[in-house]
Amino acid sequence: MTRRAALLFPGIIRRVSGSHFQGAELESSELERFEAIVLPHLDAAYTLARYLTGNTQDAQDIVQDASLRALKYFRGFRGTEPRDGRAWLLTIVRNTVRTWRQRRHPQSADTAFDEEQHSERIADDDAAVNLDRKETRARLGEALAQLPDEFREVIVLRDIQELSYQEISEVTGVPEGTVMSRLHRARQRLRRMLVRGGKTGERVI
Amino acid sequence: MSETEFERRLSAAIRDEMPPLHAPEELRQRVRAAISNAATPTRWERWGGGPYSSTTRWLALAASLALVAVGGTVGYQLAERRAGEAALADQVLASHVRSLMPGHLTDVVSSDQHTVKPWFNGKLDYSPPVSDFTTQGFPLLGGRLDYVGGRPVGALVYGRRQHVINVLLWPAIAGAEGPSVRTRQGYHLLHWTAGDYTWWVASDLGLSELQEFAGLLRADQTRSSR
Repeated sequence: MTRRAALLFPGIIRRVSGSHFQGAELESSELERFEAIVLPHLDAAYTLARYLTGNTQDAQDIVQDASLRALKYFRGFRGTEPRDGRAWLLTIVRNTVRTWRQRRHPQSADTAFDEEQHSERIADDDAAVNLDRKETRARLGEALAQLPDEFREVIVLRDIQELSYQEISEVTGVPEGTVMSRLHRARQRLRRMLVRGGKTGERVI
Repeated sequence: MSETEFERRLSAAIRDEMPPLHAPEELRQRVRAAISNAATPTRWERWGGGPYSSTTRWLALAASLALVAVGGTVGYQLAERRAGEAALADQVLASHVRSLMPGHLTDVVSSDQHTVKPWFNGKLDYSPPVSDFTTQGFPLLGGRLDYVGGRPVGALVYGRRQHVINVLLWPAIAGAEGPSVRTRQGYHLLHWTAGDYTWWVASDLGLSELQEFAGLLRADQTRSSR
């Protein structure tokens, strides 16, 4: 059965046994595999690009660029199932966004992200935020947009795209533990921004 | 409210206010078109190195077919015309549908490949490879002459439960291609070129089973050509 499947989808046999079919067959089925595994995740790619850039046109350009990069590097990708392609494509989208940012704001590339520096402690008293209030919710998007990139991306990947910690670790290239602490800090930051932006002294429920 | 509780509610609020988005149709088409453009010989060779020339036609076609899936119109027609396969697909489909009409399925009824193969002698200018896959659940039912792509071709008929599978094959002009998949009017058409032949497989059988069958054919050809 494996052999049968492998003849139809030579990518599989290459993955299993490392053997090579005639290059021609391999290539044509690679494109088929690309369409089956990567292209279903255009929505996810667009969502990430849109929330990271805050701009629909930039997001579209980035997704198009990322798709071509994905095609270019697809030969090295070992996934076989449609679900395998999501984190992989998101990784490329995420990196494409970073490249795009560095081109636009070359100076920001120099400032390395510092977990601690970007995560001031906040007093619990100040942290009261009523998430049920319409005004608070209306400010969420704005607050998210103001987060440093490294914080925003974990929030988008986790809360909006519902990736696992492991997948986020794959996409962002930092260990799972860092993903978790970064996520926590990102939420702290959002909380602080929501407090600051709202009426002081507003209490939770 | 505990911090964990707050984080949970914040997550929920973010999801409510900022739902996952759908890629705009315009973007989908742009991506498909970009991939289609990228799948030209020069680009592929520049990227990966290696002999892709024989597949580029297929790549362009596949990418264009993908475009169709989204809503393509012009790209589809152009690429199909370029590949010259649309007309063939129509003819293969017509051959398949005609074969299902009473009395049209087979000219030679036999489950014996050694009866079917010689039957084509003198009727075709090639001797199509005939195999029986009864043990794998695709018994050979017989053979038939047909006329596709401006030439007489051999059609091999296989069965799978109540389904009929037509295999049309004739000598290939160029190297390896495919497999590609088309679905028309409820029938699946698989097409590939390998070894010395161009193959078309048509059936109303489920796609995965049909691909399994195509895998058998291809495996058989790979074995016999060694």
